[in-house]
Amino acid sequence: MSNPKHDKGEHYLTTPKAEPFLERLIFNNRAIILIAFFFLTLFLGYNAVKIQPDASFERMIPLEHPYIVNMLEYRDDLENLGNFVRIAVEVEEGDIFTQEYMETLKQITDEVFYLDGVDRSGLKSLWTSNVRWVEVTEQGFQGGTVIPDNYDGSRESLEQLRQNVLRSNEVGRLISDNFQSTIVYAPLYENNPETGEPLDYGEFSRQLEEKIRNKYEEQNPNIDIHIVGFAKKVGDLIEGIGSIAWFAGITIILTTLLLFGYSRCIKGTLVPVFTSIIAVFLQLGTLRLLGYGLDPYSVLVPFLVFAIGISHGVQIVNAMAVEAAKGFDSVTAARLAFRALYIPGMLALISDAFGFLTLIFIEIDVIRDLAVAAGIGVAFVILTNLVLHVLIMSYLGISKGGVRHVQNHGEKQDRKWRLLSYFAHPGVAPISLLIAVIGLGVGLYFKQDLKVGDLDQGAPELRADSRYNKDNAFIIENYSTSADVLVVMVKTEDEQCTQYNVLRAMDTLQWELQNTPGVQSSASLANVSKLVTKALNEGNWKWYEISRNQTIINASIREAPAGLINTNCDLTPVLVFLEDHKAETLETVTERVEEFASNYNTDEYRFLLGAGNAGVEAATNDVISSAKNMMLIFVYGVVASLCLLTFRSIRAVLCILIPLGLTSILAEAIMAVSGIGIKVATLPVIALGVGIGVDYGIYIYSKLEKFLLEGKPLQEAYFETLKSTGKAVIFTGITLGIGVVTWIFSPIKFQADMGLLLFFMFIWNMVGSIWLLPALARFLLRPDRMVAKARASK
Amino acid sequence: MDTRLMCKNLGAACLGLSMAMSASSVFALADIIEVPSRPTLLAPENLLTDADRAGGQIVAVGERGHIIFSEDEGESWEQAEVPVSVTLTGVDFGTEQHGWAVGHSGVVLHSSDAGESWEIQLTGIRAMELVIESRQEQIEEMEQRIEEAPEEEVADLEWALDDLIFSLQNLESDLDIGPVNPLLDVWFENESHGFVVGAYGMFLRTTDGGETWRDWSPRVDNPTGFHLNSITQITGGGLVIVGEAGQIFVSVDGGDSWEKRESPYEGSLFGAIGTGQVNEILAFGLRGNMLLSTDLGETWKMVPNEAGATLNDGVVADDGRITLVGNGGTVLMSTDGGESFRAYSRDDREGVMDVVPVSGTSLVIVGEGGVKHTDARGKSL
Repeated sequence: MSNPKHDKGEHYLTTPKAEPFLERLIFNNRAIILIAFFFLTLFLGYNAVKIQPDASFERMIPLEHPYIVNMLEYRDDLENLGNFVRIAVEVEEGDIFTQEYMETLKQITDEVFYLDGVDRSGLKSLWTSNVRWVEVTEQGFQGGTVIPDNYDGSRESLEQLRQNVLRSNEVGRLISDNFQSTIVYAPLYENNPETGEPLDYGEFSRQLEEKIRNKYEEQNPNIDIHIVGFAKKVGDLIEGIGSIAWFAGITIILTTLLLFGYSRCIKGTLVPVFTSIIAVFLQLGTLRLLGYGLDPYSVLVPFLVFAIGISHGVQIVNAMAVEAAKGFDSVTAARLAFRALYIPGMLALISDAFGFLTLIFIEIDVIRDLAVAAGIGVAFVILTNLVLHVLIMSYLGISKGGVRHVQNHGEKQDRKWRLLSYFAHPGVAPISLLIAVIGLGVGLYFKQDLKVGDLDQGAPELRADSRYNKDNAFIIENYSTSADVLVVMVKTEDEQCTQYNVLRAMDTLQWELQNTPGVQSSASLANVSKLVTKALNEGNWKWYEISRNQTIINASIREAPAGLINTNCDLTPVLVFLEDHKAETLETVTERVEEFASNYNTDEYRFLLGAGNAGVEAATNDVISSAKNMMLIFVYGVVASLCLLTFRSIRAVLCILIPLGLTSILAEAIMAVSGIGIKVATLPVIALGVGIGVDYGIYIYSKLEKFLLEGKPLQEAYFETLKSTGKAVIFTGITLGIGVVTWIFSPIKFQADMGLLLFFMFIWNMVGSIWLLPALARFLLRPDRMVAKARASK
Repeated sequence: MDTRLMCKNLGAACLGLSMAMSASSVFALADIIEVPSRPTLLAPENLLTDADRAGGQIVAVGERGHIIFSEDEGESWEQAEVPVSVTLTGVDFGTEQHGWAVGHSGVVLHSSDAGESWEIQLTGIRAMELVIESRQEQIEEMEQRIEEAPEEEVADLEWALDDLIFSLQNLESDLDIGPVNPLLDVWFENESHGFVVGAYGMFLRTTDGGETWRDWSPRVDNPTGFHLNSITQITGGGLVIVGEAGQIFVSVDGGDSWEKRESPYEGSLFGAIGTGQVNEILAFGLRGNMLLSTDLGETWKMVPNEAGATLNDGVVADDGRITLVGNGGTVLMSTDGGESFRAYSRDDREGVMDVVPVSGTSLVIVGEGGVKHTDARGKSL
C-alpha cells in the first residue's frame, strides 16, 4: 500500500511539477518498454511455470543451531534411524487370524517389497522371514517364522499362527494389542542405492495411495489401511501445495469482482489484475533462476505480491480516473498519475520491504527465503505497477463508467464518511480509547497462554483431521509407539561405541529421562544389551543388566538394529520417546540432557543433542523464541523510524503505531486462544502484518495532518481525510485480506494458521487506523501548534 | 554360555579392554556400585526380581537398585534408601527386622529396619578375593594330597587340581575386569547365619550377620561352576539349592555339608520350594518343567502341567495352596500339595518373578512390569 502522498502528495516530498526524467524516459519509449516487458515476461514466465514444489527438510530447520549442526554432522550415521513408513492393515470385522486377511496382507507385503525406495532387506511384516518367534530350550534357542512352515490357511494353521504370534514378542510392535491390525514396516533408502538419486517423496507417497491404500481397500472391503512415516507426511505436504492453484484462482476471481465494484471500469479492473499476475510470474521466474523452489511457506508470497500489486494498482486507476474526469486524454492522465505516484509509491513499497527484511535475521532458511521471495516480489511490483500498469493504461484509458463513478461523490457517500468522522469527536474518542484499553487488557490476558512451537498431537504440519493424522492416531492408540522422538547422539572414539562405560552412561541418562515429566520411554544399545544378555542366560530376568564383561556385551549386541550402531562404531543414539512435542516438554527434556552431558561427558564419550523430530523442534523453538523479541523490536523500530523521518513528530508516530501494537497483541491473543504457537510459520506473519499494516496509518495520518495544517478542526479534517482516502484504505485492507483468506482452507495446517493471522492483521490494522487513529489524534495532536510550527518553518 | 567361556579363555583380551575403559576423566560417572539408587516413583512399575515378607511388611527388589516396601499388603509402596544401582536379584529376611538383598556386581546389602534402609556388606571384588584365597588353599591342599596319595589315585587328583587351577585363573581374570558376576539368591536362617548363591557356582556363607563371609563352594560338588539359581529351606528344615543344567544340592545339617541329588531333568532349574509337607521339595525351571520329591530329593517325579514357559518362583499359602509364577504371564495353582496344577496366563504376558500371598486369597506378584495385585488365579484385580 502506500504513503501519504499518493494523489497530489506534494506535501512531504518535493515532487517536481515539471516532467521528471524518469517520466520522460518511460513515456517517450512506451512501445519499446512494453516490448521489453513482453519478452521479460515470456522469459521469466517460462521459468515460473517450471518452478518445482520443494519441501526440503533442511530449509525448514535452523541450520546454525548446535543441535542441528550435530544432527547434520552425523546425519549419515543416523540415516537408518528415522526414515521408514508403517502401513497398518486393519480388519474392520473380526480379527487378523483369517485366511482372507492373511492373503490380503501377503499381497500388500509383496506390493510394498517392489515399491521404489523400499529397503527390501529391512521390510517386516507377518509374512517376511525376519519376523520370528523364539523360545529358550534346554539345548539353546528354538524358533521359526511366525507364519507356520506348512501354512495353508486352514483353521489349524491359523491357530498355529496365533500361537507363534503370542510367542513372537511382536505384539504391540508389528501386531496390535487387540489383534485387529498388523503393520507392514518398510525402511526407506534416502538415496536409491543403484542410481544414487534421492527418494522422490511425492511420487512415493502417490504410489502408497494408489498401489496400496486404494487398491487393497477396494479389493478387500473388510480392511482399512493406515500409513504413517516421514515420507508419507512429506508426500502429503507436497500434495497440499498442489491445492494452492485453487486458492490462487479463487483469490483472483474475488479480487477482480471487488476491483470492479471499486472502479466500475472493466479496463481499470482487468489491467491491475493482469499486471499483478505478471508481477507474480516475474517473481516466481526469478526465484527459479536463483535456484529456489516453492516451499510450503514461500508459496504464500505470490499471494502477497498479487495483493500488494492490486492495492497499489488501485491508486493508479483512481488517480487516472480523477485526471480523466478533469478532461485529460488517456496518455496525459497516465502521465499525471505517474508523476503524482512514482516517488510515494516507490517509497511505500520499499517500506513494505523493510518489514520483510527483518525476517533475514532469523536463522531458518525458509523464513529467509520468504524474505527474499517477498523482497523480489515487491521489487517487481514497483516495475509492473508504476511502469507497466501506467503504460498499458495510457493506451487503454479509463472507461466513461469509471470516470462517472469517480465523479459521483454523492450525498450518500458523504453521509457515510460524516458518520465515521465522529471517531475524532471529543465525546466518542474517549469511548474508543476505553474500548482500546479494554481490548489491550483482554489481549494481554489471553496472550499469557501464548506458547512457542507446535501444540497439536501428531504431525503438526497437517490438520488434526487430516488423513495422515488420523492414521497416526490409530497407530499410536493400537501400538506401543510415539510419534515424538528426541535422539541424543553419543559420540565415542572409533570402535568404542559399545564399551561398558558408554552403555552404562546411556542407561543412566535414559533412567534420568524416564523420570522426567513428558518422557514416555527410551531405547538404546543399553536396552538391547540388557535384553539379549537376559535372553542368553536362558531368559532369566535376574540377568537383566549390562554386563561388565565386554565379550558378553559384544555378543549381546551382535544383532542390534542397524540404526543403533554406525559403521565405525563411534556413534550410537539414545532414542527418547516423548508424550508430545509441546515446547515445555522439549525444554525440560533437553535441559536434562544438557545438564547430564555437562556433568558426565568425558574423553570416552560425549552426549550430543539432538536429532529426531523432537530435537529439530527443540532447536527451532529455541531459535524462534530468541528471535521473536528481536524481530518485534526491529520491525517496530524500522516502522517507527520511517514514520518519524516522514512526519518528524513523536506524536504522529504514536498515533500510527499504537493501533498497530494493539493489533499485534490481539493477534497473539488469538494465537493463544486458538492454539496456534509461535513457530516458523507464524513468526514471519508478525513482521509481515506490521510491515504492511503500517501503510494504512501513514496514509490516513498524512492526509489528516494536511487538512489540519489547512486550519480545519480535527473532526472536519478527519472527514476530509476519509472522503479523499478512506475508500482507498478500506479497499486496500479488504484486498490484502482476500489475498490471504483462502489459505484458511489449506490442508496444510501452518498455511491455514498463516492465512488466519494475516487476514486478521490486515483487516484489523485497517480498522485500527480508521477507528482508533483519530481518537488518539484527539488526545495526542495539538493542531494549533502544528499550524504554528508549519508557518514558522516556512 | 559360550560367551562367558570365551571371556574366560580370552582373559587377557578382556583385561586389555578393561584397562582402556578405566582411562576416564574425573567427572565420569561413578561405578554403579557406588551410585545410590535414584529416588523414583517408577520403581513399582519396573522390573522386580524377588520379594519377601519382613514381619508385617512386604519387601521387593529389582533393577537399578530398587528396593520397595509396603506396609499395607501391597496397596502402596515406598522406596528404600539403597547405596547401589545394580540390578538386585534376591531378598530374604532372617528375622522381622534383619534382611539381606543380593544382586549384580556381587553385592550383598543388609537392612536392620525391616527393609527401609540398606547398607552394603559385600561387593563382587571382595567376594572374588575370598574365593581366590579359598581356591589357593584348595590347590595347596590338593598338591599336598597328590604328594601323599597312592599311585592309582594321582591321575584323578591331578584332574581335580587342573579344575581348581582353571577356576582360579578364571577368577583372576574376572577380577581384572571388575565385579562381573551376579549373585542370584540369598537365604538367612536368623540374624546371623545365612548363605548367598550366584553365577558360576558362587556360594558364600556368613555366621556373623554378613560381617565376614567364607567361600562355601568347596562344600558342593560343582566343579564345572554351574550357576546356582536359588537357595531355600523346606518344611522339616532341609536346605535346597537348585541351579543350571539340573543341579540340585541338599543339606540336612543347616548348610554345613551338602549332597548332590540326581535330577531327572537336565535343563536349568530356577527355583525350589517346600510344599508344606515334611521333606517334600518342588523344583522347577525351563519350559514349565516341574519335579516333585517327597524324600528330600532322593527320588523325583515330573509334575505335568500346561505352563510351557519358564517357572521362576513360588509360594505355599497358609491354607496349603501352592502358587508358582513364571515367564509369559504364567501363574500355576495347586490345591493338592503339588500333585497337579491349574494354569492361568495373564493378559499382559509379562514375566512374573515372585509371588507373595496377601490378605484373603489374593496375591501380590512381582516381575517384568513391576508389582501387581491379583486374585488367587493370578488375574489382575
